Amino acid sequence: MLRNLSFARQILPALAVIGLAIAAWLILAGLPDRSTAEPAEQPPKAVGDLAGKARVAGAGIVEPASEIIDIGSALSGLVTDVRVRPGDRVAKGDVLFTVDARAAQASLAQSNAAIAEARASIAEASAAQATARQQLALYRGLADPAAVSRSEVIRAEGEEAAATTRLGLARARLASAQAAAAAARTEIERLVVRAPIAGEILAVNIRSGEFVSTQGGGNSTPFIQMGETNPLHVRIDIDENEVSRLAIGAPAIVSPRGAAELHVKATFVRAEPQVVPKRSLTNSAAERVDVRVLQLIYALPPSEAFRVGQQIDAFIPAKAGAPAKTEG
Amino acid sequence: MTQQTTPGCAPEAAICARGITRDFEAGQTTIRVLHGIDTDIRPGELTYVVGESGSGKTTLISIMCGILYPTEGEVRVFGTDIYKLTDTELVNFRLKNIGFIFQQYNLIPSIDAAANAAVPLIAQGVPIKEARERAKVLLDKLNIGNQADKLPRQLSGGQQQRVAIARALVHEPRLVVCDEPTAALDASSGRRVMDLLREVAVSPDRACIIVTHDNRIFDLADRIIVLEDGRITHDGTEMPDDH
Amino acid sequence: MLTGDAQKFYGLLFGIGFSTLLITQQMTIFVNLVERGASGVYNAPEAEVWVMDPVSRTTDVSYAMPGTALDKVRAIPGVEWAVPHLRAVANVRTKDGDLEGVTVIGVDDATLIGLPKRMAVGDKSVFFAPDTVVIDDVGVDRLFSNGASPLGERLELNDQRAIIRGIADAIPSFTSQVTLYTRYSSALNFVPGTRNRLSFVLVGVAKGETPEAVAARIEQETGLKAETRAELAQAGVNFIIENTGIPINFGITVFLGFVVGVAIVGLTFSLFLRDNIKQFGALKAIGVTNSKIMQMVGVQAGLVGLVGYGIGVVGTIAFIRGFGSNPFFKGFYIPWQIPLISLAAVVIILALTGFIAIRSVLRTEPAAVFR
Repeated sequence: MLRNLSFARQILPALAVIGLAIAAWLILAGLPDRSTAEPAEQPPKAVGDLAGKARVAGAGIVEPASEIIDIGSALSGLVTDVRVRPGDRVAKGDVLFTVDARAAQASLAQSNAAIAEARASIAEASAAQATARQQLALYRGLADPAAVSRSEVIRAEGEEAAATTRLGLARARLASAQAAAAAARTEIERLVVRAPIAGEILAVNIRSGEFVSTQGGGNSTPFIQMGETNPLHVRIDIDENEVSRLAIGAPAIVSPRGAAELHVKATFVRAEPQVVPKRSLTNSAAERVDVRVLQLIYALPPSEAFRVGQQIDAFIPAKAGAPAKTEG
Repeated sequence: MTQQTTPGCAPEAAICARGITRDFEAGQTTIRVLHGIDTDIRPGELTYVVGESGSGKTTLISIMCGILYPTEGEVRVFGTDIYKLTDTELVNFRLKNIGFIFQQYNLIPSIDAAANAAVPLIAQGVPIKEARERAKVLLDKLNIGNQADKLPRQLSGGQQQRVAIARALVHEPRLVVCDEPTAALDASSGRRVMDLLREVAVSPDRACIIVTHDNRIFDLADRIIVLEDGRITHDGTEMPDDH
Repeated sequence: MLTGDAQKFYGLLFGIGFSTLLITQQMTIFVNLVERGASGVYNAPEAEVWVMDPVSRTTDVSYAMPGTALDKVRAIPGVEWAVPHLRAVANVRTKDGDLEGVTVIGVDDATLIGLPKRMAVGDKSVFFAPDTVVIDDVGVDRLFSNGASPLGERLELNDQRAIIRGIADAIPSFTSQVTLYTRYSSALNFVPGTRNRLSFVLVGVAKGETPEAVAARIEQETGLKAETRAELAQAGVNFIIENTGIPINFGITVFLGFVVGVAIVGLTFSLFLRDNIKQFGALKAIGVTNSKIMQMVGVQAGLVGLVGYGIGVVGTIAFIRGFGSNPFFKGFYIPWQIPLISLAAVVIILALTGFIAIRSVLRTEPAAVFR
């Protein structure tokens, strides 16, 4: 048989079988991988009690318990001294920064000078008045009316009255100068900006030498931002359609963006009374709004993982027996 | 397979044909090719059936070896009334008992000589290896054992005819039927084939029928039956003088 | 028997081989081309369920949702996680000033869910650099056909600067459009503003839940449309089928392949059997039954079919592999069902033609051999 190996009858079929075997292997090996893959990074997910239960999800932002306070300045002027840096803790009344007070200082000095001058005038007028009164008393004490001339008496009476008037005037000038000094002191005090509450400095946007104006607000950046960061709060946006399902008051599970494996239990603080248009969390200035959200405030436990302004994903339990949340 | 005796049939006869007629339809008319043939073929003899073209000799032999139904009549081959068998029984009967040698050899072109010679055995269900061995023994006997692995187209006419003879004899049939075995061969190789055939095919319990009109080989016959127009006109050991 | 006649044998081989090649190769290209409609789905391997606006149809035909849809989906029990996914078209200006339409895909900022599984060049961490986009490999061919490395190239997208920092190994889309991957927040800047931007929410299913059940629950409770990965992939495929003439074109070619096979094989088969009718007659006379003859012919046909089919399949694989580097054929594969379909076609061709051809053999009288 081997001597007479037929190309058509033995070699070709053998080749065909080999070729088909290789083909089958190539086909099976070449089939595309259509399987699903586990995510490489943990996405945010409901955990623990909430994993298989009815819940409401929302996104939110971390904020201080006091909310963020944008510190302004009552007067405009050049900044002379910035006393705090971001991250500092300050007590209530601590100086944050000072604004150039030279003009106010000058008017204080001026007022002080006026006070001194008024006091001098008072002293001079008092002396003149005393002299005049003595002269007049001398004249009045003489038994002989003809000892002094009538005219002399009248002059002495006039001098006394004039001195008295001068004294009154000088006293009035003193009061005026004192008032001016007080005003100058108040202004100096107003040029020193102090912390309204105890808290943490979150941002400092001014430096010595910069001009601050009272025309703050609008789009301009606040000079200093601060807030009470112990505890931190989160402000969670819940779609208005989901509000009815919400178990208001229940603790929420919160994960920071990018660290979804971290799950923190936050306690309920309050719900904002007003439903507001959803504030964009996507950085896009052009984003317009078509949804309204209820904002819930939750307090975070002390944690290194959260920073003010950070975005978070939150899961909140739904009301027990909330409609449409049963299986299926 | 009934084994009853038909009157006039010798029990030892290889073929006992009685009253065989055969009609062919040709359009509207019916042509009678055989007119009531009665003949016995005896084992151990080399029997020639001779006749002109159209004398009916091919039809007669087809009927006697069980591949063509007669219109009337009865054929017993070794006592079996073959046309009373079912189709399948008849096919198996042929496979077992009859060897065929054809004018055109009709070897299968894609298999070698040994495999061609082994076809009847393989068809009987003998394992291919054993069948080839038996065929090779026979090919050796026919002096072409060294050609056993060749394809038919690599063999000469005489060699092909020997392969065909081997195919006819490999299963040891009791009846061998040859149709013009020498017609396609030149005189000398025809002669050699016939010598060989006589040597290996003829044995006391085997009948051998050869259809031919090749007068070069008439002298090898034990018995010659001459057919003319569907009738036997001569039956003897020699050819009649008028041929 | 057949092998005895080289001409007819090779004719049959050619007929079967050609048919197989035509059917297998055309169906392969068809399936792969149509599956390009689902490439967006397959390019986000993590997502098990896709949530979209009810009018969205496929990954590329979508209508954006409000941003709170993400929270709604996250609230559904059985949702393990949900992340935003943005798909939008934009125009990009290249350094040369050419304008090219691109698909911008914004993946989740933190987890990068929604990216293709592999990066061809670079690492997924490049996404955290500002203004990063990652281009897909088709895009490299389209935008940087001169062979220059696209890494570090600047593009202009919606007046924003974008820097190519990596190449993703992605399955091309049906239109082979350039695709830029970026983070969701950057994508919002790169794509001109519209009211809503969130195209899809990709959802992972909690353990013990099936995507189908979760998708049904999401649909029921949010009113959004949620499809499993398989459904959305099918939708993409159906979209291509419904909106292009591709099925008809390929269907015609496959049908022609079949007809050519039937014609060549049928004719050759009939001729072959007719040529050998004497041999068959001889076999029948010797005592070989019809069923044995049919077996013989069947074995011969099987042999021819095997070899021809092998030629066709191997040819198809060689074709697909040979053109594998061409971006048009990127990711092309031969679904295992297709060789089975062409095998069935071969069997049908051989059975049909063999049956017609063998009838004459079966009808042959054994007596014919003596004439």
